[in-house]
Amino acid sequence: MTAQTSRITMTRRGRGVGSRIVGSFLYAFGLPFLLLVVWAVAATRSTNRFFPDPLTIFRAFVDTWIGPAFVEDVLPSLYRLGLGILASIVVGVAAGTVIGLVRWLRELLEPLLEFFRAIPPPVLIPVVMLLIGITDTMKVVVIVSGAIWPILLNTIEGVRATDSVMTETANSFRLTWWERLRFLVLPAASPRIMAGVRQGLSVALILMVISEMFASSSGLGYRIAYFQRNYLIAEMWSGVLLLGLVGVFLAVAFGLVERRVLRWYHGLREVSRA
Amino acid sequence: MLDRSTLLRVERLRKVYESANGPVEAIGDINFTMHAGELVCIVGPSGCGKTTLLKCLAGLLRPTSGLVEMHGSPVTGPSPAMAVVFQEYGRSLYPWLTVRGNVELPLRHKKLSRAEREKLVTDALEAVGLGHAARSHPWQLSGGMQQRVAIARAIAYQPEVMIMDEPFAAVDAQTRADLEDLVRELHATRNMSILFVTHDIDESVYLGERVLVLSKSPTWVQEDLAVDLPAERDQITTRALPRFTELRTHVYDQIQRAKRGDAVAAQPAH
Repeated sequence: MTAQTSRITMTRRGRGVGSRIVGSFLYAFGLPFLLLVVWAVAATRSTNRFFPDPLTIFRAFVDTWIGPAFVEDVLPSLYRLGLGILASIVVGVAAGTVIGLVRWLRELLEPLLEFFRAIPPPVLIPVVMLLIGITDTMKVVVIVSGAIWPILLNTIEGVRATDSVMTETANSFRLTWWERLRFLVLPAASPRIMAGVRQGLSVALILMVISEMFASSSGLGYRIAYFQRNYLIAEMWSGVLLLGLVGVFLAVAFGLVERRVLRWYHGLREVSRA
Repeated sequence: MLDRSTLLRVERLRKVYESANGPVEAIGDINFTMHAGELVCIVGPSGCGKTTLLKCLAGLLRPTSGLVEMHGSPVTGPSPAMAVVFQEYGRSLYPWLTVRGNVELPLRHKKLSRAEREKLVTDALEAVGLGHAARSHPWQLSGGMQQRVAIARAIAYQPEVMIMDEPFAAVDAQTRADLEDLVRELHATRNMSILFVTHDIDESVYLGERVLVLSKSPTWVQEDLAVDLPAERDQITTRALPRFTELRTHVYDQIQRAKRGDAVAAQPAH
């Protein structure tokens, strides 16, 4: 009769919201700003023409990327990147789930998977180029060939480690095949899957650039290599800057998705740590 | 001999595990019957194969030989007529689902309308006193409340027998007393058949209408004891009754004998 009801609330008390925002803003942008200043000062004192000052690069950034180049180079790159990431996640999670659930398949494939994972993906570019030709598909395949491994292996591990009592619960309540997948196996593996996706994203970005540097007539990687060969130094640096921004954007987008998908996981960990 | 109210019949149940050091006989020969609407406690010395027995009954483990029958038909796998409440509530509830989601999950494949399903879930949560916590996640609740969620899940499943595996072993004494009274209440008001496995002698006498005392492994039913305490029980007065003390002393002696292994296998009457 005495159902004591203590919902654990997770709000931190402390300073006001306003000063917290200012504080985290300073933390986030303080050091980058300081580095920019150091760079600017160093660049004005240096005579090295391969090392332009930030303002020149910023001007080159605006001139180069805001305009037709956005459609000709940035969008195709982002398209390949997006497609590659999507394919890596879909194939990696699907295959990883099957391999993780079927024991003999796992034991059969694991040494092979470790071998493929150990091959540095850029060496596959010439091979894939011969097989598929210089197309968008080739670039997507190259991205997938590298980004899929952390996702696949983490999914296998996550699916394999499904808690035995949780599985027994599913058995005793006679959950259907689909219910097990949707409500037990995938959610239980989701922390590992997300960890794999996080690693896969950075691999995908690297491979996008490299595949475009190798063989392409468009894209960020192609454009940066082109600028470098033509001694357009400030433009080259602006491309590097843009790649960095794409990376940051990916990380932020991933963070938002992860917070949503793994809300239960972070909550659970916070409670068990308290 | 199969009267209409016989719910569960266990005959010559035996379970032998194969291990690296040869076969291990966990369950020797277990025989008992349980009637519909009964609350039966199973108690035994530690390591006597209680959990093995329970898994065999629930169809989660295949016995080496013998028979488990539910309403006269053999149990060969998990049955919709049984719902299990596990000891480890933290690992039996799914942390990514809300309380409501957890209770609702086993009902998804039952052919019920949405309204019926909602009603079952709400009703089950009310029955365990958690109507207000439906939207919380299990890990936001205390241990006792989490076990209430697991019980609600079993109630909503509408089984003919609820099988509970040392369900309160991991909660503190006060919470435990509350949960024991909840089980008594569910039995009394909903006429639920409950098979309650425990290692706690007092708990078995306080809860049960019958107590089955198991021997040590390889296990048989050493005694089938009827608990002749009044049906209306409460933590203070019932536990203070001289008869309660007698019964618990008796069960305690039986367990001690079981541990020493000097009890002789009681041959089944039939």
